[in-house]
Amino acid sequence: MAIVHLQADHRRFTGGEEVLEVDGATVGAVIAELERRFPGLGPLLTEGASVAIDGELLPRGSIYEEVGPTTDVHFIAPITGG
Amino acid sequence: MINRTHVHCTVNGDEVDFLADDATSLLDALRDELGLTGAKEGCATGDCGACSILVDGAVNCACLMFAAEAEGHEITTVEGIADGDHLHPLQQVFLEEAALQCGICTPGVLVSAKALLDHNPNPTETEIRYALAGNLCRCTGYDKIIHAVQEAAVQLNGASK
Amino acid sequence: MTDTEARPTYKYVGTRPIRHDGLDKVTGKARFAADLNMTGQLRAAITRSPHAHARIVSIDTSAAEAMPGVKAVVTGADFPEIDIADPIHDEAVNNIARDEVLYNGHAVAAVAATTLAQARAAAVAVKVEYEELPAILSIDEAIADGAPLANPTTRTLFTGDTEPSNFASIGQFERGDVEAGFAAADVIVEREFTTVPVHQGYIEPHACVADCGQDGKASIWASSQGHFAVRSKTAAILGWSTDRIKVTPAEIGGGFGGKTTIYLEPIAVRLSQKAGRPVKLAMTREEVLRATGPAPASKISLKIGATNEGELTTLAGTMYYSNGSTKGFSALTGAMSVASYKFPNLELHAIGTVDNTPKSVAYRAPSAPQAAFAVETLVDEIAEQLGMDPIELRLRNAVVEGDPTAMGMPHPKIGFIETLEAIKSSDHYNSPVPEGAGRGFATGFWFNIGEQSSATVNLNEDGTATVITGSPDIGGSRASMALMAAEELGLDVHRITPIVADTESVGFTDITEGSRATFATGMAVVNACRELIEKMRERAAVIRGVDVDQVAWIGGAAVVEGPASEGSEPLTIADITAQAKMTGGPLTATASLNAAGAGPSFAAHLADVLVDEETGQVTILRYTTAQDAGTAIHPAYVEGQMQGGSAQGIGWALNEEYIFNASGEMENASFLDYRMPVASDLPMIETIIVEVPNPSHPYGVRGVGETGIVPPIPTLANAIAAATGVRMTDLPMSPPNVLKKINEK
Repeated sequence: MAIVHLQADHRRFTGGEEVLEVDGATVGAVIAELERRFPGLGPLLTEGASVAIDGELLPRGSIYEEVGPTTDVHFIAPITGG
Repeated sequence: MINRTHVHCTVNGDEVDFLADDATSLLDALRDELGLTGAKEGCATGDCGACSILVDGAVNCACLMFAAEAEGHEITTVEGIADGDHLHPLQQVFLEEAALQCGICTPGVLVSAKALLDHNPNPTETEIRYALAGNLCRCTGYDKIIHAVQEAAVQLNGASK
Repeated sequence: MTDTEARPTYKYVGTRPIRHDGLDKVTGKARFAADLNMTGQLRAAITRSPHAHARIVSIDTSAAEAMPGVKAVVTGADFPEIDIADPIHDEAVNNIARDEVLYNGHAVAAVAATTLAQARAAAVAVKVEYEELPAILSIDEAIADGAPLANPTTRTLFTGDTEPSNFASIGQFERGDVEAGFAAADVIVEREFTTVPVHQGYIEPHACVADCGQDGKASIWASSQGHFAVRSKTAAILGWSTDRIKVTPAEIGGGFGGKTTIYLEPIAVRLSQKAGRPVKLAMTREEVLRATGPAPASKISLKIGATNEGELTTLAGTMYYSNGSTKGFSALTGAMSVASYKFPNLELHAIGTVDNTPKSVAYRAPSAPQAAFAVETLVDEIAEQLGMDPIELRLRNAVVEGDPTAMGMPHPKIGFIETLEAIKSSDHYNSPVPEGAGRGFATGFWFNIGEQSSATVNLNEDGTATVITGSPDIGGSRASMALMAAEELGLDVHRITPIVADTESVGFTDITEGSRATFATGMAVVNACRELIEKMRERAAVIRGVDVDQVAWIGGAAVVEGPASEGSEPLTIADITAQAKMTGGPLTATASLNAAGAGPSFAAHLADVLVDEETGQVTILRYTTAQDAGTAIHPAYVEGQMQGGSAQGIGWALNEEYIFNASGEMENASFLDYRMPVASDLPMIETIIVEVPNPSHPYGVRGVGETGIVPPIPTLANAIAAATGVRMTDLPMSPPNVLKKINEK
């Protein structure tokens, strides 16, 4: 169970809801659960987002990162650099 | 049939000779015929100074000279600045002052700076900046390069006393 | 300037040794890609589209193939078709066109011949029949109702839309209530800002040498910021497995983000394969400007509301960024960059477009300079209207740890306040503004990234060490790797040789971008060193005949502690390596990671300028930058990044611009007319390194390579406003543009 924060782009899938409690032991499981509840959202989070866990920015694709019942998970646009 | 000119000149103190097409630049001849890849091609139009060399002591862009024009002249490239394994003070100070990052402009900058100090041993900051205005650097913002030339000038003046 | 926490005393970290690769670079021995020559090599040249947008009706290579010295010719037909949903599709098409050319300069064919002159002559002889199509050449043209498609394979990112579009991406960020925020604001400022494309301007054109062997394997030497990416992208474009390609990074003559993609390698490999000989392929400067980069054009309308007490409460606007010929993230990244102030109410629409100009690529803190131009100008105007000092206004609103970014997640530990204070207490700030000059101030930041790195540390028989990484050195990172290894091992930094190894000799490492090398690759180096220390403790235990628990690592040596320590001398690294063979074999360790916790780096810049109101010429009298490096591993190279980024930002602000004619052809594709700063344009750039360590890195490192380019544009725009009363909102602020605005006043 994680506390998921979605961006405006993602909220069009959730009917405007921005902060959700989502079941899942890992980031990947959380994404799968979000896809189950809001079809179409999953791929946006997997391919099109970086993820921050409790404020710490993780590398892209960190789907095995564990999350707990009070973990804050932010999905944000991918950050690169130059 | 391809016509090539037989060119004879002095490069870094050595008498050399090579063949050049009519259209071959001195830069290409140095790099491809003589194996001296210190001078770089940044633009091939004489705007960046990465190919700066000395021709009889004066700074020139090797990309703007035909190879055949080198006939009978003394050419100095970055490879000829050091004395064997004794670096020129400019080279040593550039290392100590971190006056280079990627290093692609460094050969041309060293050649131009050496020509400056050979003719004007005590340049002001403005004189250094204008002397190096023909050498584009995209990494350093020129700050450490200018400081390094100033420091090298001090060392050279001290050594000659 | 340091954090209030006690800073560890380092022996090597923070010193300024001469870099290990420096000697070769001052003597002309360093090998950049174009300096490499292979026996029997061919030279190659590329045929490029003269049209901004056209369908390729036919390509006839027969005349070219018959020309003297020609050994191979390739076109798009020589590469596998790639589905538009495949991540490599856009880059594959950018490398060489298939059905359509998407910008003037787009590669259409390539020739390999015995001499460069022969290759160029043959490239011109390739006959391409085009059917011209309508070309989109600006953001406005791209978004106009009924606009023709610039690139029909574009599908708008983040919308799930499957229809072709001129919109590369559509996204938004919001929090709070902007309507209520503006209604309650005492001061509101609103402007529209425009910028045009600019190039990264690396002095070394793209170049590579490729050699395809009879065994079907290819070796590539490339100028690149990431040779593992060269390998994987080249393999994907050719349809090969990655093990068939080996890439060796040559020394790189500048990248700044522009060499994070590839333009030449698949073509060179394919030519080499067809000809059975090595192929050297390099771009001319004109090709670099016509067919690579640049940083995106932008059109940003922004509105900021504040209270009379100086609280910045509300930010709203629409940010358009062009991506050039294929889609990308530039608009979203730009919107994410406006995260320096708390802004409880925020609504940003980030819209990316495509058009028929070269595909835009990263340029140091991609999209942030354009965003900073807008935000920092408006914040400066608010300070002016409130009669408040610009630094005070920033201090009042600056984000601190825990405050939300534009994306919503909280900032980790950051040093924005400390950076502002550094300028406030600087000599420059406390000196009077020179007679007739204007003083400007602005700030910026970059998130920085972590990503994957590997490092191997080998201890040599004589106790020296070799540190092997896979991060191309674009700014002096090799020196920093050696310094961190020296600190870990307690070994003199001059007994350590750092190298950047090829794709077969070191573990996978992501591109040097996002200011990640010192941070993430440094972490891998540190981890490998720590593993080595554990191994050396075990060997020391064997040598001394004690339990490993009784061996400590102190001051670069294994020291036996406890009862058995009597008469036992410390064992140095050299002592241990001398007996490596007898105690278990070679001493080596490899570490790899996918690094998290990259720390943002904030910067603040200050400039005094003179504006000649008769010519519009802007002269910078004094320039100071302060930036948070976390911990400066090699301070001279941190200063170098700050100064280099500042100079690029100054060029972007005052003179650089792409000039396209009505047909989409770049009119100033040379260094004469694409005017970058030269030594006589700039003053000394004073640097103040701020150190608020990043808790996620063993030495507190924050990447510093990118942030420096973010503040200069608004710093200079604000200085010009102070000097003349004129607010510049369009780049570049070149003499004719400044003069025009002054005369309109």
